[in-house]
Amino acid sequence: MKNSLHVKLLLKITQEYVNSHFTLVFSLLFSLLFLAYSYNFSTQNWRPIVLIFFVIYAITTAYVGFLTLRIKQDLASYSDIRKSTRLLGYPLLLTIVSGNIFSTSFAFLLISKSKTAEYTFAAYALITQLFIIGISALNLFKPYVTDTYLLAMGLFLLLAIFYIVMLILCSKFVTSEAAPKWMLLLGILLLIASLTGNLFATLLGYSLIQKARKANPSTIEKWQRILEKILRNTMAVFGLFFIVLMFSLSVTSSWTFDYDFAIENNYGALLQTPSLEYPLGTDNYGRDLFSRIVFGAQISLIVGFFSTIIPALIGGALGAFSGYYGKATDNIIMRSLDILYAIPGILLAIAIIAAFGANTMNLIIALSVGAIPTYARTMRANVMQLSNLEFVESARALGASDAAIIFKHIVPNSLAPMIVKATLTIGGAVISTSSLSFLGLGIEPHIPEWGNILKVGSTYLETHSYVAIFPGLCIMLLVLSFNFLGDGLRDALDPKSN
Amino acid sequence: MKRLLVFLFIAVLALAGCVQTKTEVEGSKDSKEKGKKTVEILGMADSEEDMNIVRDQLVKNGFEVKLNIQPDYGSFSAQKDAGNYDLALSSWTTVTGNPDYAVRGLFKTGGDYSIVSDSSLDALIEEASTLTGDEAAAKYKELEQLLVFDQAYIAPLYISNKYQGIYSELVNPKTVHLPKSRAQVWENIEFNDPSKNATEPLILHQTIDSLTSLDPIKGNDGSINTLNTNMYVRLVNLTDTDEVVSDGSLSYNHAIAEGNQEYYFILRDDLNFAAVKDGAAVDTGELVSAEDVVFSLNRAKDSKSVPDHRTYSLHENIETVEIVSDLAELQKKKVAGSDQSVLDALSPNLPASVTQLAKDKGTVNNAAGTYQVVKITTPTPFPQVLNYLAHQSGGIVSEKQVTSINTYDVAAYNPDKDIAYGDQATVTEGTATYNNHLYASGPYILIKKNDYEAQFVKNPAYRVGSEYEPKIAKINVRFIADNDSALSALRNGEIHVLQSVPETKLDIVKSDTKLTLNTADSNAVSYLQMNTSGRPVSESVDLRKAILYSINQDEFISYYQGNKKPAVSTVSPLINTGLKLEADSKKVKEYLKAYND
Repeated sequence: MKNSLHVKLLLKITQEYVNSHFTLVFSLLFSLLFLAYSYNFSTQNWRPIVLIFFVIYAITTAYVGFLTLRIKQDLASYSDIRKSTRLLGYPLLLTIVSGNIFSTSFAFLLISKSKTAEYTFAAYALITQLFIIGISALNLFKPYVTDTYLLAMGLFLLLAIFYIVMLILCSKFVTSEAAPKWMLLLGILLLIASLTGNLFATLLGYSLIQKARKANPSTIEKWQRILEKILRNTMAVFGLFFIVLMFSLSVTSSWTFDYDFAIENNYGALLQTPSLEYPLGTDNYGRDLFSRIVFGAQISLIVGFFSTIIPALIGGALGAFSGYYGKATDNIIMRSLDILYAIPGILLAIAIIAAFGANTMNLIIALSVGAIPTYARTMRANVMQLSNLEFVESARALGASDAAIIFKHIVPNSLAPMIVKATLTIGGAVISTSSLSFLGLGIEPHIPEWGNILKVGSTYLETHSYVAIFPGLCIMLLVLSFNFLGDGLRDALDPKSN
Repeated sequence: MKRLLVFLFIAVLALAGCVQTKTEVEGSKDSKEKGKKTVEILGMADSEEDMNIVRDQLVKNGFEVKLNIQPDYGSFSAQKDAGNYDLALSSWTTVTGNPDYAVRGLFKTGGDYSIVSDSSLDALIEEASTLTGDEAAAKYKELEQLLVFDQAYIAPLYISNKYQGIYSELVNPKTVHLPKSRAQVWENIEFNDPSKNATEPLILHQTIDSLTSLDPIKGNDGSINTLNTNMYVRLVNLTDTDEVVSDGSLSYNHAIAEGNQEYYFILRDDLNFAAVKDGAAVDTGELVSAEDVVFSLNRAKDSKSVPDHRTYSLHENIETVEIVSDLAELQKKKVAGSDQSVLDALSPNLPASVTQLAKDKGTVNNAAGTYQVVKITTPTPFPQVLNYLAHQSGGIVSEKQVTSINTYDVAAYNPDKDIAYGDQATVTEGTATYNNHLYASGPYILIKKNDYEAQFVKNPAYRVGSEYEPKIAKINVRFIADNDSALSALRNGEIHVLQSVPETKLDIVKSDTKLTLNTADSNAVSYLQMNTSGRPVSESVDLRKAILYSINQDEFISYYQGNKKPAVSTVSPLINTGLKLEADSKKVKEYLKAYND
């Protein structure tokens, strides 16, 4: 019997145990939610489908609880998890069918002994692909599907099988330092596969290519360390999962979802409650809410992304010049940006849209302009810090030009805070887009965008609340995911915590 | 393992066969729809839903649609005046209840709101205005045929109903009228508990907070329609179903003489003007007399009587207004279509029979048999003139007061320096310009207004002791711009009557025990006005007809859950001509083809 302090320490650092607790709590939470929703209090009867979900989640919770106890036992007795316990993780993989992302990812974590980042990416790429297949499969209940539907679904199934193969290969052949040479080809294939928007495939491909090419070991090590830190933060990983899922969905929806269902009015199906044909119900014009929300993700993500990237680039450049040159340049740039900063961001956006008209381009410009000063300030602070370090002096002594010093040496090293800031404010950009659409100043009202859908739903909050709840939930979850990811990135990239 | 894979493969193939793709269902579209016509629709944010449905219907019929949504009426009018539209989504309510008003201002060449100039249409409008009964119906049918089906100057959408919500927890719903054309009637509204009538203010609402003018002839819009209707009395009124009556007006009775060109009104003497002094309403002691009627109607028909006269076209059919001095005239003339003399027609229910006609208002005494009679003449037979006299612009103002305030020269009027009777600035509280000079002949008078509400109190000299004496002493009109907010205010009891409940919220009002829903027909018609200059729709009848037949009124009615009615033109709520607009996509293709060739 080991020292109890030793056991306590083991429990803290063993990823499987920490994760199993996490999974237990969330599974329990969802089971209780399903239980509460399964009884319709106004009509005094049960909702059978919800009840079935409750039962499935309850069984999952119980199984995870059992696994938690077993892991604890294993760690206390053997300081490591036994193979038999790991094998018990396989049945838990089936819970992906019920959409339980928590227990599925826990299962992947449990069944493999190797904990490389590649394995995790492959697992999440597979989970994302399966979710996409599941969501797109709901379209089968519509009167008809798009012409490219069967082709796209076939492609998705092939990709899912490919990811399963990658998963097995990664767990067998990839270590934390190296990967076999033939993985280079698979890495390239993965990069091509990421055209479907599955960013986990991109990360996996990039990682494998780096390792297979036997790149600089210190680069590999730095990359691995950052990845491991992020991946250890479960909330950040789930945030990333949701973002990648939304992104992938918005890319592939052009092939599997019919745009007409989302735009054309259908006067025979006004305000229908959720059913198989209309998974999230219909709005007051008879348009399918499910298709509208999926297409709305495209615009919300595009506008949110561009109205973060553009001010990051412009503000970053201005801040870099300001911080490097100092004195007069710094003064001029910063004071002008201060004037811009003094104008309330959303009012500036409203004024720009009212003046130039409401369309996607103007929306992006309007939201970008107000965000430039904060990015400039962040970059300036970092650049000022770094400019005084010795390596800059030595680069100057070696005859490097100012531009080269700024963009080759200083900026890459000050990217970390900018990345963190960007992920944290992209959530704000998504909310601003939705707010402007809600006020009628964004996209045209019939174009699906989460703010537009929410606006229509807000007048029906009392009678048909689902029209407002679903887009609201999506906005909330996306922004929450960005926040969690930003937190995780900040913890991972913070040099002080090394 | 191998067998499982083979089985799965076959299963997938089988399932794939069961799935229907879009091209199988809808048929392949033309490879690249060439030359799709773009149509620009202009509308206000309030009509966003209608614009969406029109857009949807046009897109399904092969048009490209661009939406131009303006936040309020001001920016909408600016865009309309600039001509930035192919279709403008407009609505019109015939507040006078007569079909002539539904077409004259909108479609006659030179009409107040008209952009149409078609001489055959003008001729039809003139002819129809002289007719009554079945002849009129037939003529208006010809008019609609030309306006809508032959030339497609407008594409009609629907006729609305009126839905009024009453906070019946406090207010007696039986006392709240819902007239078809007339503005809201305030004098008969009572609380459930009569003791509250003298102490509790009744809280009503309207959307627009900027009042055009409290002079009845200087405004003709939703900001002052109801307010001026209740501040000034008229010669006649409309009932809830648009009949012209003397009830609740300045006249005991009225009569139309043979020939339909002379109209007689015998006036009451139990109405005095009220004025505002120290924040309260006082009886000025001045009688609302025939002299005031002559003055009011003469200025109503004279476009030069005030700057920014908004309603002279309504009264252009009045030739003369005079006080009758010869009793014999009334005894000799016969009523149109009968043997009765005008005097007999004017005599029912008088306090005392007519013995003489007063020389001036000083000698009026109805109890002793001395009355004033006013005569109005029209250049051509025009019975609809009575409907225009029932409009709020026919309100009677005080000759003495208006002439004492309007001392400026009309031609040289400078709004920054000259004060006109009825200016909003003179009734806005807390400003240097507050100087309430209003003289009200009606049941209520405006004390003051600010950005949130206007406060009215009862006219202490209006029909005291009769059933028409105003019941509630104080009325506040709140300004609530958004109709959904107004509905929430009604449900909380913050306002007591909601003039128009949104069609999609009727169930909420019906199921609320504190509220009562009143329903009535309305004269409000929504339609698309086609641009008549500078756009392709202006030149081509085929294009206009293609747009016309794309409109499917049944879809509008199902969107509004059956709470709208089909329409053909602005005349439809008043006269049913039997015509109907049916959407027809074959005709659309036909006309588009004709346009493209």
